[in-house]
Amino acid sequence: MDLIVNKRIKQVIKGDQNAFSEIVELYKDKVYQVCYRILGNRHEAEDIAQEAFIRAYINIESFNQSRKFSTWLYRIATNLCIDRIRKKKPDYYLDAEVSGTDGLTMYSQVAADVALPEEKLEKMELRDNVHKEILKLPQKYRTVIVLKYIEELSLNEISEILDLPLGTVKTRMHRGREALRKQLGKL
Amino acid sequence: MSSCPEEIVDLMHDYLDEDISAEDEMKLKHHLQTCPSCQQYLHQLKNAVGMVQGISHIKAPDGFTSQVMAKLPKERKKVGFQR
Repeated sequence: MDLIVNKRIKQVIKGDQNAFSEIVELYKDKVYQVCYRILGNRHEAEDIAQEAFIRAYINIESFNQSRKFSTWLYRIATNLCIDRIRKKKPDYYLDAEVSGTDGLTMYSQVAADVALPEEKLEKMELRDNVHKEILKLPQKYRTVIVLKYIEELSLNEISEILDLPLGTVKTRMHRGREALRKQLGKL
Repeated sequence: MSSCPEEIVDLMHDYLDEDISAEDEMKLKHHLQTCPSCQQYLHQLKNAVGMVQGISHIKAPDGFTSQVMAKLPKERKKVGFQR
């Protein structure tokens, strides 16, 4: 994958804008997902995920092609998410989340024509609740938990993405898991 | 529940990070064999992790790529009309 990506990057640098669409296609789900799980709502996630790709495009020449492109891209995306969270008032944010039931709305849209079996609905509710509990974590714990358990990245990669020492990532992971143990134990 | 020794809880996290020495792993296992409350604690941690992993993977909305492409600045390069 890195080979193809580097080839496309070279084309983009030469001025072939269309080559960038393939890069977006390859990474859009990952980038969108990380934004969604960190920010909590779909509209904002879409906004920030798009912004991440635009920034990557504008700054593509500064990407060191001997490194992993996804790490660089995740770094842009998580930085944008963290900035966005910092600019918000925390109270407003939590309120918006409680009334949201974002996941459920999405799921019911998907399954609009099909009657939902009880069991399936319960699973969706559970996922929705897990999503909300993740959002209750302080941002610095939430970010590492999302990168590790939803994006399935290694601790080393996470430390590179967040530009934090490995020890700090471990401490945050540890605290994040502790908090989730307490919060999710109630579900 | 609150009685779990901090040192053992730290080892649980090292274990979950797959970053534990063989020696520490033995120590953890030994302790778990004799301590039901630590067993339960580790179980709760694993459960929490499993629940996070279990939330379904979502995809970017339809039209995402074309929207990004439409928003890109027209020309990255300055070479446009040079003669």
